Amino acid sequence: MLWTNKLSEMEDEKIINEGTQPEIEKSTGGVYPENDRSIDMHDTTLWEKFRARKVLFGIARFLFISICTIVVVFSLILFILYGVPVLKEFAPKQTKEIADNKDLKKDQDYKKKIGLITKDIQRLSLKYNTYTPGQSYIVVNTTENRFYLYKNKQLIREGSCSTGSYKKLQTAGGKTWTFKTPRGKFTIENKRTHPAWHRPDWSFIEEGEPIPPKDSPLRWEARVLGDYAMDLGDSYMIHGTIYKRFLGMPVTHGCVRLNDEDLEFVFNTLNIGSKVYIF
Amino acid sequence: METEVTKKKSRRKTTFILLSCVISAFVIYYSVMSMKGPAQKLEEIKKEFETKTTDKSDINRRIIKDSAYLRLLKERAFLQSSIVLAETDSIYLIINLADSTANIGIFGVVVHKAKLSEFQISKILKMSNESAILSMLATPLTISHSFATIKKEPVIFQMAPKDTSEYKPDIMPDTTITEPVNYILETDKGVRIYVYQEENAKIDDRISQFKFDLNSRLNDTWSALKSVAAFKVPDYHPFIKIKLPRTDAKIIYRALPRSGQIAVFS
Repeated sequence: MLWTNKLSEMEDEKIINEGTQPEIEKSTGGVYPENDRSIDMHDTTLWEKFRARKVLFGIARFLFISICTIVVVFSLILFILYGVPVLKEFAPKQTKEIADNKDLKKDQDYKKKIGLITKDIQRLSLKYNTYTPGQSYIVVNTTENRFYLYKNKQLIREGSCSTGSYKKLQTAGGKTWTFKTPRGKFTIENKRTHPAWHRPDWSFIEEGEPIPPKDSPLRWEARVLGDYAMDLGDSYMIHGTIYKRFLGMPVTHGCVRLNDEDLEFVFNTLNIGSKVYIF
Repeated sequence: METEVTKKKSRRKTTFILLSCVISAFVIYYSVMSMKGPAQKLEEIKKEFETKTTDKSDINRRIIKDSAYLRLLKERAFLQSSIVLAETDSIYLIINLADSTANIGIFGVVVHKAKLSEFQISKILKMSNESAILSMLATPLTISHSFATIKKEPVIFQMAPKDTSEYKPDIMPDTTITEPVNYILETDKGVRIYVYQEENAKIDDRISQFKFDLNSRLNDTWSALKSVAAFKVPDYHPFIKIKLPRTDAKIIYRALPRSGQIAVFS
């Protein structure tokens, strides 16, 4: 409404100006006569007013068109990004209707089919349940650095542990080691008390020490693995630690570290052959 | 002068109308083509997985519409899929939408259980009366690609010290950093699994999730636009969108191998 009023006002002024201005210019050749100065002054103000309004109107129109364009473009983008995926979900129709027919349930063929599938399901369920070991096993969560000990399919102990740091050690020669705990199913291959650690090459490289020969007594280190160690193969172990403040954090070279109490409990619960599930 | 201005105006008007018509026509064409996607995907699934039954007796036709029968078929398909997974030498994921859980398994042993706080499933996958969908889900889905806001393996590089003077003992890792966890697992059968973290109280988490979602939508739209421009029906990906606590989402993503397998029970 306001816009229309302003527009009509401006149109009127335009008509007035269009009607008067050229005539003056024609008669005087662009120069205003002295006695018409007051009228001219009035006309000039009107003209300036009109021009100012015209500029304002132009700006307003430009802004209006720009905002409208932005809104339309934005709506189109929103429709394409969010609307079309929603529309897709309305597209396919159920080709068959699901029924719950009571007469059908009395049919012998139906009963036979249902019986067969039920038997199948029971057989498959039994088979699936046999995968979980009845004996003790341990589960290690490497993301959260926690362990869960099970016996007779019941959780009997859980706690913090430390697993691989994901540190990639690189030598100047380009040799690399990534310290991560392997994931999957493992078996306790050996159980040891008061284990000593046979330091591998990376242990010396990591500390900037010269690498001794394979059979060097310098490679053996006592008391760093705690009181017990359980071998998982490929030099990976479940063992104790002297860095107890790091428990619950990813700091190891791939082994699983436990605190002294948990280690003793786990050591006494698991046997050689027990399963270790690491994920 | 005046006529020139009028001409210019009318030309501008015509261009504007023409442009609007072209854009509208394209949007309609794009929408129609995109909406054809699910039907085409269903046909593809039917072609690949539907088992042709020769027994077309009346009872058989009625049985395949029975809800109890279909429920049992679904359960059997899920168990078959779980057993296939249990016999593989890999860590796998079992998404059970019926009881809102996502479990990680290794050789048939459930090693981690997570509760889904929310889930949304594509209409195609809800068509439990479609035997093709049932047989598609009777075998596990294998991850072909994944896109995530977190690293699969948070590897930290370290150069070996030249001598003992350069050696710096390990500092305690910062475990207080909580990065947003959102990811998409794209599977070989075209099914996409969207995993979003449940925690959304922080503005950073919300922004990250919005960005991640927008990015995936932009990628999809771009590939759909390319298909539509080539007069092809864009690919449709049936989806399962789940929301989990951040820690569970992270555990699942890190535990699953790059080509990990997933069994779904809807």
